[in-house]
Amino acid sequence: MFEPIMEQILTIARDAWAFMAGLLIVVALLGGLYYILQGTAGMAFGGSRMTSMAIIGVVGLVIIVLFAFLFLPQLGEMLKGFQPQPPF
Amino acid sequence: MSEVSSLLLTFLREAWIALAGVFVAFAFLAGIAQMLRVGSASVLGANLWVWESISALISIMVLGLFAFLGIPQIVNALQSTLPGAAGCGPISELGVLASGLIGGLAALRMLKAAFTTMLFASMGGASSLANALVESGEALFGMILASAAIPLAAWFLGTC
Repeated sequence: MFEPIMEQILTIARDAWAFMAGLLIVVALLGGLYYILQGTAGMAFGGSRMTSMAIIGVVGLVIIVLFAFLFLPQLGEMLKGFQPQPPF
Repeated sequence: MSEVSSLLLTFLREAWIALAGVFVAFAFLAGIAQMLRVGSASVLGANLWVWESISALISIMVLGLFAFLGIPQIVNALQSTLPGAAGCGPISELGVLASGLIGGLAALRMLKAAFTTMLFASMGGASSLANALVESGEALFGMILASAAIPLAAWFLGTC
């Protein structure tokens, strides 16, 4: 009875997921570019702290993106596995 | 009466399955929305925003576990306390119908409360676990009241 409505909502949710995943990639790329600029500028005028902070920032960004794309689907799959049958 | 009861319960069961499926989809969306906030906040250097998003992620997980593991257990426990067949005759049948419907509606209401909270979280808002718990508490209180009302109604209308 609710199958067609559910399909419609799931289609919208899939589109929203693809949009947000794309947006995350764009934000991560922009952030990476910013950190590279920061690191290069730091290297150019001898700002070693600035460079090391930029390297740490890039590594952090990569970890966040990996977490979003690898760990989050696993968490979702786990939640899907817990999906209960009607208790009544 | 039993046919009406089974028809209504089938309708409620299908609604439960649909709501649970959509809940998982919105949990995925809420997760990636919060990860997007973490990513953009860490690039901007907004530490507070990062911690807010991480706590929102944990809240989403807790809400999902509560919805999928907690609510069915609560409903099962309360349904076993509902007096199904008080008396005999039509009153008994009405009691069975009412207890089934009360359990189904309360379960759906609790899942709906959790779903609404998840919907807000998927739009990047705060996932207020308190609202879901308050609404679940209201549904529980309603079930407890109903469990007292069924035998009272049977007594008032006359039992055999």
